[in-house]
Amino acid sequence: MKTIEELREQIAKTSYICGSCGSCRSVCPVYREIGWESSAPRRKIALAKEVFLKKKEKQATGQYAQRLQECTLCGKCAEICAAGIKTRELWLNLREDLRARGMEHQNLTQMALQVKTTHNISTFPNENRLDWVDDLDEVEVEVSKAGSEVAYFVGCVSSFYPMSAGISQSIVSLLDRANVNYTVLGSEEWCCGFPLLASGNSQQVLELAKHNVEKVRALGVKTLITGCASCYHTWTHEYPTILGEDLGFEVLHATQYLAGLIRTKQLEAGNIDETVTYHDPCDLGRNSGIYDEPRELLQAMEGVNFVEMPHRREMADCCGGGGNLAAVDKELSQAIAVKRVREAVATGATILTSACQQCVQTLQMAARQEKLPLEVLDVTELLWRSLEE
Amino acid sequence: MEQALREICGSRVTTDPFELAPYAKDVAYVPAILVHLLTNPLPKAVVQPISAEEISSLIKWAKQGKIPVTVRGGGSTAYFNCIPMKSGLVIDTNRLQGFSEIELDQGNQKKMVWVKAGMTWKDLDDGLRQQGCAVCSSPSSAPSATIGGWVSMGGLGIGSVPYGSVHDQIMAIRGVTATGEIVELSRPDKSPARNQGSEQSDLQFNDLMGTEGTRGIITEIKLLVRDVPEKEEHLLAIFNNATDTGVMMSWLGGEHFMSLYNVHFSSPEFMMSLQKAGYAHEIPPGKYSLEIDLEGKRDEVDQAVAHIRKQVKVLGGTLLPDGVGAEEWADRFKSLRLEQTLPSLLAAEMTLPVRNFAAFYERLSKLGQKTNTLCVTYAHLVSPDMALVMVLYPSDELNLIRYIVDLSFTSNLYKLGHRLGGKPYVIGFWNTPYLGKIYDKGERERRRQRKQAADPYAMLNPGKGYNPPNIILNSYVFGFAMIMIGLFRPMVLKILKGGKGQ
Repeated sequence: MKTIEELREQIAKTSYICGSCGSCRSVCPVYREIGWESSAPRRKIALAKEVFLKKKEKQATGQYAQRLQECTLCGKCAEICAAGIKTRELWLNLREDLRARGMEHQNLTQMALQVKTTHNISTFPNENRLDWVDDLDEVEVEVSKAGSEVAYFVGCVSSFYPMSAGISQSIVSLLDRANVNYTVLGSEEWCCGFPLLASGNSQQVLELAKHNVEKVRALGVKTLITGCASCYHTWTHEYPTILGEDLGFEVLHATQYLAGLIRTKQLEAGNIDETVTYHDPCDLGRNSGIYDEPRELLQAMEGVNFVEMPHRREMADCCGGGGNLAAVDKELSQAIAVKRVREAVATGATILTSACQQCVQTLQMAARQEKLPLEVLDVTELLWRSLEE
Repeated sequence: MEQALREICGSRVTTDPFELAPYAKDVAYVPAILVHLLTNPLPKAVVQPISAEEISSLIKWAKQGKIPVTVRGGGSTAYFNCIPMKSGLVIDTNRLQGFSEIELDQGNQKKMVWVKAGMTWKDLDDGLRQQGCAVCSSPSSAPSATIGGWVSMGGLGIGSVPYGSVHDQIMAIRGVTATGEIVELSRPDKSPARNQGSEQSDLQFNDLMGTEGTRGIITEIKLLVRDVPEKEEHLLAIFNNATDTGVMMSWLGGEHFMSLYNVHFSSPEFMMSLQKAGYAHEIPPGKYSLEIDLEGKRDEVDQAVAHIRKQVKVLGGTLLPDGVGAEEWADRFKSLRLEQTLPSLLAAEMTLPVRNFAAFYERLSKLGQKTNTLCVTYAHLVSPDMALVMVLYPSDELNLIRYIVDLSFTSNLYKLGHRLGGKPYVIGFWNTPYLGKIYDKGERERRRQRKQAADPYAMLNPGKGYNPPNIILNSYVFGFAMIMIGLFRPMVLKILKGGKGQ
């Protein structure tokens, strides 16, 4: 793990590359809402150049800190950057620096304390991680079952938030239907640490990473799956770096694993007569490179009329729920989500799917707020529904 | 002031210094000492209107208080084109978004749309492509440049070979005059005008083409669009020297292929800089590369490809495998990746007769060697006989003295270009000393008269495009200063050991 001085050096070097061309402006979901140049990625980099390269510490004001934290970490700016800057990495480094300066948003400080106390992002004790299982009648979910082939890492959102419980329930139901020998970690599952990474608190993630990896290794599973795009990104991209070693088991997103089951005919999709579109979660798509498998699942369902949104795959728009934005500015997060659900409705879709519990939750709230004729579901929920119907 | 502006634009007004600061900058870094010596760039307020009516009210309000007004689109130019010289009010057009349904002109069977000034060219093109159409041409900064911005500049870029300047693709324009009148101006040589000129301020259609927001404010344009082409081919040819490359560029321009859409030159130094940053490894080092983009009907593209293949061979060049050109095309908006190797670049951009391109490049190489300056060049063919050339060279904005002496080299580049028929591409503020190189005396006078007629109180974007606004920018004074500073440059570079920028 890099020291704060090394991070600052890296920020300085990166900021020098930016040519301020502004390609990042029109794709940035935050700039598109706020509208002032100060919220555009190029301006944030220009300020970073002042602070870190030209050592003008006075530029690191409260407004500067606020703008840096008004970001979904969607990575679309990196995708379009004319100078090829890895902007997402830069935003994370800048947040590490904010935290070191004591300029972190108070809600993020509170969240870090919460995770330290309960090992999850909710206020519930971690022993309640499997409350969602209570509503399952026909599926028995076994905890830390020895000899399992697959471990299912549920993620905090669909463990603790009732509106997202359908995702975890659908995933275990699908695994059960395909006779997969799987297990869950129960209260031994701790937050993956993604919200902490996103708030510049990588130090605290080390303990979580060590714990989670140790518990999964102890199960001896070949494969770890998760339905959460951010957990997936953290397990595949962050843990190996943080721990400095290979994990020793395969990590797949639930959509990848289920697509494999369908390909090998271990699982057959059912029928749904609906027009469906798909929202690429930033952490699964742009930031992890997985675009096809969720679409494969949707197209495996008979009757589904699959339509794409104009902004998709590498150029998909963010749902507004990433990067802890809702903790910093809930209205801003919701405004971004509203744009996305409107884009979905414009395709003629009646169901908007995604493959991320955070995206689904954020988009559901936006669709309800706008009273749109749009149901928002996780791909796995729709797949399970196709079998139930 | 804020209260009055809020009555017009609601919450879309700011006077907060934190918010205002970025509106005093564009893409170029200029040392604060120079900026503040010559200008007062920090606006007093920035507003984001959403309609022509709001802009009209803003102009009327500004006129009453004699407050200068500067319009800003993407802020993606480098010559202070959209930066206030005398503080005042900045009108940020980025909230003027959207385009109309595609119209088909029954007379000439051409398709067109009304598009608002604040959209970026990429957003417009993406939106049109969902409906089977595309923009005819776009700036090489299409992801950031706005509709109004590019129309206010030179309007040359990708696709200019077949379609000309964007100015040639505009059928009508809506805008606001310096008196606050809302007007719709039709192209004088096309359909009958609804309003050939503004009644109060005598604003005419051409007053809004390439005049950098100095005569009126563009709010919407009626733009010709094209059908998405049947076929695209992107070839990448490499040559051993500038002469053969220049001959190939001239040949491409002269053959008048129906499907020739774009030709992009990259110098060996440009490619080397990209390769150092981990890109463009398919291109052999030391070669001069031409990306040749063809778009159109299938048979036209195929025929052109066959001819081009032969000509490349005749000139001793090589076509790289399929896919390399397509990759270059996909990365056409990412030329700034070379800043990973060469941050803090200075530049000169000019139009140049393509017949002189090879001579320019050879003289540039000699100048670079003589002055120990790494010159990195790329260019677009923008008409059958004209190229838009960008020459970049490294400096170091962290070293004030080095940066200031390096600025003098831009003057050398323009001089070199001028000898071969080249002209600075846009004026803005920093290129006002070169006005005499861009326009002859008669044209300069005609431009001044139009400015006077359209904006008698010199309220719109003052200090740009007509006369050098400051004695220091007078062409003789500036020229002499550049020569003197240039004399110190070799010594400074030697002391700093920064001859090649890094």
